[in-house]
Amino acid sequence: MDLSRRGFLQAAVLTAAASGLTVACGGSSGSGGTKNGKDLTLWYWGGALSDKVVAEAKTHFSSSVKLTTASIGGDFKQKLTTTLAAGSSVPDITGIKGEDMASFLPNASRFLDLNDLGFKKISSQYLNWKTKLAQTKDGRQIGFPIDIGPTALFYREDLFAKAGVATDPAKVAELVKTWEDYFQLGVELQKKNPGTYLVNNISSVFNIAVGQGTSRFIDKNNHFIGDQEHIRAAWTTAVRPYTLGIDAKINDNTWNAAVGKNLLTELGAAWHALDIEQAAPGTKGKWRVCANPVGPSNQGGSYLALPQQCRNPEEAFKIISWILSPANDARGFTDAAIFPAAPAAYAMPAMTGPDAFFGGQKIIEVFGPAAKAIPDSYEAPADAAVMAPYMTELTNIEAKGKKPDDAWKDAVSQAKQIARRQGVS
Amino acid sequence: MSSPPVTGPAAVPEHRGGPGPARFRPRRAVPAGHARPRRRGPLSYWRQYLAISPFYLIFIAFSFFPVFYSLYLAFQRWDGLGDMQFVGLQQFKFLWSDPVFWLSIRNTLVIWVLSTVPTLFGALVLATLLHSVRRFKGFYRIALYVPNVTSIVAVAIFFGAVFSNNFGLVNAILGTVGISPVPWLSNPWLIKVVIALLMTWMWTGYNMIIYLAGLQAIPTSIYEAAKMDGAGPVRTFFQITVPIMRPIILFTVVISTINGLQSFSEPQVLFANNAANANLGGPGQAGLTTLLYFYQSAFLNNDYGYGAAIVWAFFVLIIVLVAVNWRITQRGRKA
Repeated sequence: MDLSRRGFLQAAVLTAAASGLTVACGGSSGSGGTKNGKDLTLWYWGGALSDKVVAEAKTHFSSSVKLTTASIGGDFKQKLTTTLAAGSSVPDITGIKGEDMASFLPNASRFLDLNDLGFKKISSQYLNWKTKLAQTKDGRQIGFPIDIGPTALFYREDLFAKAGVATDPAKVAELVKTWEDYFQLGVELQKKNPGTYLVNNISSVFNIAVGQGTSRFIDKNNHFIGDQEHIRAAWTTAVRPYTLGIDAKINDNTWNAAVGKNLLTELGAAWHALDIEQAAPGTKGKWRVCANPVGPSNQGGSYLALPQQCRNPEEAFKIISWILSPANDARGFTDAAIFPAAPAAYAMPAMTGPDAFFGGQKIIEVFGPAAKAIPDSYEAPADAAVMAPYMTELTNIEAKGKKPDDAWKDAVSQAKQIARRQGVS
Repeated sequence: MSSPPVTGPAAVPEHRGGPGPARFRPRRAVPAGHARPRRRGPLSYWRQYLAISPFYLIFIAFSFFPVFYSLYLAFQRWDGLGDMQFVGLQQFKFLWSDPVFWLSIRNTLVIWVLSTVPTLFGALVLATLLHSVRRFKGFYRIALYVPNVTSIVAVAIFFGAVFSNNFGLVNAILGTVGISPVPWLSNPWLIKVVIALLMTWMWTGYNMIIYLAGLQAIPTSIYEAAKMDGAGPVRTFFQITVPIMRPIILFTVVISTINGLQSFSEPQVLFANNAANANLGGPGQAGLTTLLYFYQSAFLNNDYGYGAAIVWAFFVLIIVLVAVNWRITQRGRKA
């Protein structure tokens, strides 16, 4: 059979028409439905919630609703975005990662306002700065805080002792009051422990230094401020360990092998303790934690949200406020190293116990105060995208020996471009 | 809908040619006297179209429509959920002045050359060797083809471990002979070499099988004649095998170009983003291929319009490269 040109064109037009129809149909599938459904689905990812608490929630609420949970692997944000855009099979309750929250806020109308459901009454139980990060400018609350990631300084007590430096957490915290003190201590430690480094890479220093401030790369009026003094200062701080030669320049997965060997300290959030424990089980008892230089910042920490399509908002809200009640939050810490966003949990026995990996130190004494001291900052939807070039350029300094000043210029000019692309003025 | 008489006794000879003298008539020639030489419209074949429609429906829904939708997206600004905003050619203007985009193009081209050249050359040599092998043919073929069907993620993780800067196998071996560790996964050039090596390892066997099929189609009499004329194995390879294989080489070059330029999983897995650095492509973005940059822009930064612009600009580049390839490989054919 040979197809004529006309025949081919006809077929092409039909095809196009058919695809047009598909689109037209796809757009109109929003379902009204009743709002007192008996089946609720919960989407989260492995480690976002304590599996034990979730399992208990199922039985606890079994008389009123049937809760089905799905642990979603891979790129969670992407899958949630696609499902929300499609408008069908949307979960009734979903997790949202802390770093993705800002990018969901412009589309807050896709989610229910938790304040309408009673979050206002209990919001004082949760850390205010964390709650605010899931709030739109007009006060819609779309995220219920699960956990947070207060940062601290993890250090090798044995290597500190070897260098004749104080090893008691409170005393070390005194020694590293400022970034410069911390780096100078690193130089001294390195002399006594040849072949070791103070920090794993300078991006991690930058990340924490930026998080210590109240403003980031874009201000509340949607202006780019990534070229201003506060970012420049964080940059200068980050480059210091590189120039002092106390930077291990690890930007790949060899961190796993390095952490038990030649790293003197680790800057990281509370959940980072688990990373260290898994990567270097042989160093059990040799690590300690103290407040990090200058002050704490936050890394990560997630939320639960109710999409607009939620089939039973009242019940769903009851479920999430039960799962995330301070008492259950504390259990999340024991089960899955989820650091609660509810300060009341910090005093509960589940959290105040000594940690054998840290030589019996009660690490909540460091992270608890840090959690409460994290500054209230504004994170714009495009913030993560705009921050990326700074990280890239810091890696360029480490990998290619690029001059820090050139790297700074390139980072700023690229960040500006990304900001413009994302509609920031 | 009118349908012409398909099975009418008079219709058969004119359409099908039929046996006998009709065979020698030019096709479609209409015998004089017939009033309406109707062609069969495509609609009369609806059963056949229906039979093949599942493929096309799926193709339309999951390939055809997304492709053109992405073209539409390239002129919008869209975060994936909110309202789209028409921005005209702005995304392409950004693209033009975006150094990272050009860096990603450079990376892709370098990785492509570093992988395609050894892959195709190695495949041809291996195929020639394998063609003359007498024993264990099946074993060699399978052994060389296995890398191609191995999961790319598994391979990338394995390469990542072998070439690891501080604790990798390669550096350990180099260390035993007194060579200091090589920064495989942080030097911008070595990153590309490792990615290219990975791709070479995966694709040599695939191309080898295609070449082997081509070699087996060459009649042995040609080789015998060459041998009689006193041509050695090397000369036979370059003056007999390669020219005869030209169409097959062309095919593999085009396919490798399309595949090689679409490298994505290799750097994506090798340099999986970590919490501290959300950027893809490893240190200095030296492993950031164009598709990886597209993925980062669209799916990590929620900038779907810009992502679409990246892939469409890249599509144009692939077309140009395939055309150039075609010309180079075809050159001299008619002479």
